[in-house]
Amino acid sequence: MSFKRRDVLKAAGAGALAAALPIPLLAQGQTLKFGLAMPMTGSQSAYGKDQVAAAQWAVDDINAKGGVQGRKLEMVVLDTQADPQVGINAVNRLISVEKVPAFVTAWSAVVKAVAPIANREKILELSVGASSPEVAQLGDYVYTTFPLADVDVTAVATYAHDKLGKKNAAVLYINNDTGVDAAKVYKAAFEKAGGKVTVYEAYDPKATDYSGMLLKVRAANPDMVHIHGLITDIPQVLAQMRQLGLQQRVSTYSAGYNPNIVKQLGAAAEGLIVTSLAPGVNDRPQVKEYVERWKQKEGRVPNGLPYTQYLYDAPVMVAQMYDWLLKQKMPATGENMRKALLGVKRFELPMTGVTEVDPSHRVQKPVYLLTVQNGSFVPLATVG
Amino acid sequence: MEYLYSILILVGIYVVLASSFNLIIGTAGLVSIAHPIFFALGAYTAGLLAIHFGLNPFAAAAVGAVVAGVFSLMISLPSLRVSGDYLLITSIGFQLGLLQVIKNLELTGSQGGLNNIPTPIAGPERGWIFSAVSLAAAAATVLVIRWIVRGPYGRAIRAMRDDELAFLALGRDATRMKIMIFAVGCAFAGMAGAIYAFYFQYVSPEQFEILASGTMLTMVVVGGMGSTWGPVVGAVLLLALPQAITFLRLPLAYMAPLQGMIFTLLVILFLFLRPQGLVAPEAPSPVRARRK
Amino acid sequence: MDSRAAMLDPAVLAQILWTGLATSSYMVLFTIAFALVLKVLKLWNFAQAGMMAIAFYVMYAAVNHFNWPTAAAVALGFAATLAATLAYEVLGLRTLRARRSSSLLFFIFTLVCSEFTAYALTLIFGTEPVPLFPEILSPTRIVGSVAVSNWDLLAVCVTLVLGIALALYLRLSRDGQFLLAVSDSAELAELYGIDAKRAYVVALTIASVFACAGMYLYGSRTAVIPTAPLQLMLFAVIATLLGGMGSVVGAILAAVFLSLLQSYSVLIIPSQWQGLILYVFLFVTILFFPNGIHPGALLRRLGLA
Repeated sequence: MSFKRRDVLKAAGAGALAAALPIPLLAQGQTLKFGLAMPMTGSQSAYGKDQVAAAQWAVDDINAKGGVQGRKLEMVVLDTQADPQVGINAVNRLISVEKVPAFVTAWSAVVKAVAPIANREKILELSVGASSPEVAQLGDYVYTTFPLADVDVTAVATYAHDKLGKKNAAVLYINNDTGVDAAKVYKAAFEKAGGKVTVYEAYDPKATDYSGMLLKVRAANPDMVHIHGLITDIPQVLAQMRQLGLQQRVSTYSAGYNPNIVKQLGAAAEGLIVTSLAPGVNDRPQVKEYVERWKQKEGRVPNGLPYTQYLYDAPVMVAQMYDWLLKQKMPATGENMRKALLGVKRFELPMTGVTEVDPSHRVQKPVYLLTVQNGSFVPLATVG
Repeated sequence: MEYLYSILILVGIYVVLASSFNLIIGTAGLVSIAHPIFFALGAYTAGLLAIHFGLNPFAAAAVGAVVAGVFSLMISLPSLRVSGDYLLITSIGFQLGLLQVIKNLELTGSQGGLNNIPTPIAGPERGWIFSAVSLAAAAATVLVIRWIVRGPYGRAIRAMRDDELAFLALGRDATRMKIMIFAVGCAFAGMAGAIYAFYFQYVSPEQFEILASGTMLTMVVVGGMGSTWGPVVGAVLLLALPQAITFLRLPLAYMAPLQGMIFTLLVILFLFLRPQGLVAPEAPSPVRARRK
Repeated sequence: MDSRAAMLDPAVLAQILWTGLATSSYMVLFTIAFALVLKVLKLWNFAQAGMMAIAFYVMYAAVNHFNWPTAAAVALGFAATLAATLAYEVLGLRTLRARRSSSLLFFIFTLVCSEFTAYALTLIFGTEPVPLFPEILSPTRIVGSVAVSNWDLLAVCVTLVLGIALALYLRLSRDGQFLLAVSDSAELAELYGIDAKRAYVVALTIASVFACAGMYLYGSRTAVIPTAPLQLMLFAVIATLLGGMGSVVGAILAAVFLSLLQSYSVLIIPSQWQGLILYVFLFVTILFFPNGIHPGALLRRLGLA
């Protein structure tokens, strides 16, 4: 992906210029800047790089259509490695060297670690992908454009009870912040719908043998199993479950919406329910074009397709916020960016549809449920 | 500016860490790698005290240092009685075990880390005040350690390190001395942790894993184990270099692993070509002296 | 039906025992490699994680990129691991030994070798978790009331065969006996004309075999990232520590015991605390049995001597 390197270099040149000249950012001819801090290296980079690529396409598309009121949008990309300390350095750089009034970032640990900086420096932080419910409580300058974990987990729990008629569920979750919070949400939602959670078990992130936990499931014999883990362990839990002869239908969340699961599990993946927080190719023509573009340019589907859709939409949101600022003739400060976010309020976005920002720092979006049928993901239902 | 300040603050914190670590492994010859966990203990203690009791940051830092010092007894008391080298393995176990506890406690924010630590100062002065505090702490640490090492106490420590038998013959209690040194070094790490917690307002357990031990060891080894200024040079160099590399704007995808490879290679080269480090110690090198 | 009572059913206990034993297989292999090197070289070989990572990724590349048959891939993986290990011994450890370096320098060197390997592999293979073979599911049959998968059988067989072979080799072959002599005292062995260097190479070669076999088993069931071997190795370190440092049999027993304990513990304690059990044992050992279970002469010469 050499196009990225060139753009980063270009951005670097422009950045140095902006830092050297004491011109207010919205003066004529000046580009409209924002930052993007994502894992370009490290264990999460396969996702991070594709998300950056998607955001870069959006910026290119916006600028190709004339930018924002004739002004070019400019994105400065820095690496976070999905590591809090590296993320803090990157965001400090974005704020004090690149002087961006707003930045986009993802991964819970980084989103949380940089939140104090955003609040202190009054710079708008847009979290695009961190799903921990805590994200809503990180402060005045931290907003998410991505529905938090409670949205899709609630949807999948309610669907299991109301539509699939399941009465007893087992919740198996990884013992880290991803799993613990989501398991609570699933239990609450399933019980609220009228079902019972009969097995509620955590497993260690380093575990490789899940038989004890799965035998508890076998003893309790629920009619639904929800696994909330990471992409490394979900296939393994499922494999061991089937090997122990457990035939219950299994649901998981957006991490499970990954072709590798089907590849690794073969027939054992049949019936698995996963969620997606973004519309699929059949739900929206723009998404179909977007996926075609990936196949043409990179010869593949992006890693974590729904997340890249949100990342494509993030610069579009920033552009609409800048548009609002220009119309109000306000200077591009972090405070004004926050006003613009709340001022625009309802964003029409190409890849994920309408996003409404509400004062509780959450967004509501429809949840798309998919299931594995004959070795591929097919739409099951849309909730909300 | 905030960017520069944050680098300066990290430099101060790591100078404290590397110098105190050097006191333990270089000067006293105690083979522990658990320094990051004492850094963590200081950070978590200070952070929790500030969150739940609104304690004054200096008092919180002092408590953090004391807690780190007291916890150090949990490794040093049992293992130093047995044999010096046993400390290496127990320190690994202690570090990983305590981290596992931190990752499981609701109180410490579990795996997600401790956030919402209140900042003691806000406003535009925050950056330079913190830089000043952090650099002052670094200077104080270096001076105090230099004073310890240069004084009569330091001569005793070196004598003990270089020849424990002769030292014992003189009637000094070597074990008690080692335990004291270990506690003092760990308390400094705890203080550094408190500064970290108050400035960054967020602490997560994965920052204190065994790789962090590797980083601190690298600073000491590359700088010069057993010398006063070696760890300072090591800390500054190893913090500044990666930041400088990011300004080169290399393709991001290769930067982190390349950086890692460069650093680990650097350590290996130093181990073989210049085992005494950049700044050689004034006293005979502990590297050769340790072996009987 | 009361689910707690149902969990104490003999069929359930037998199932946990079988799966737990099968899962402990690769842990046992890694522990043997670690404990043997400690015994013979008097070295806490933290570079073992690097060896394991090389073994896995070379096998992975052979299977998935070059489409080699499994046997050839394993052979290539072993060859690469052995080459790297011997380079590490000849170019690194020998120099440090000749300089009579402190155990701290040995520690730094071994750990840094593992880190370097992890970074290099990240550069080449990226950090997407990959299993050795595309499919991780293994066919299962019910024996009595216990589900037994092909992987379980393979794992138990490989571990038993390698373990017995090692025991026989140590007892019956000349090299094996030299190994034991050197592990008792390198100086004394050299006086009797035994080449300690050769014994070190033999021990590291055996460790490469075990690391490679362990990664084959682990990788055919779980996706691996370049830093995963570090975590796996720590288990071997703890088992070695509990097993009385330097006693290979003690370490094996500790590895099996800890694995089974983790598997069974789900019946008694809240599952989120399971990961801690390992460390509870470690803590108790550190605090109350600092001599380990075998307070032998080895203890005094930990790391080197």
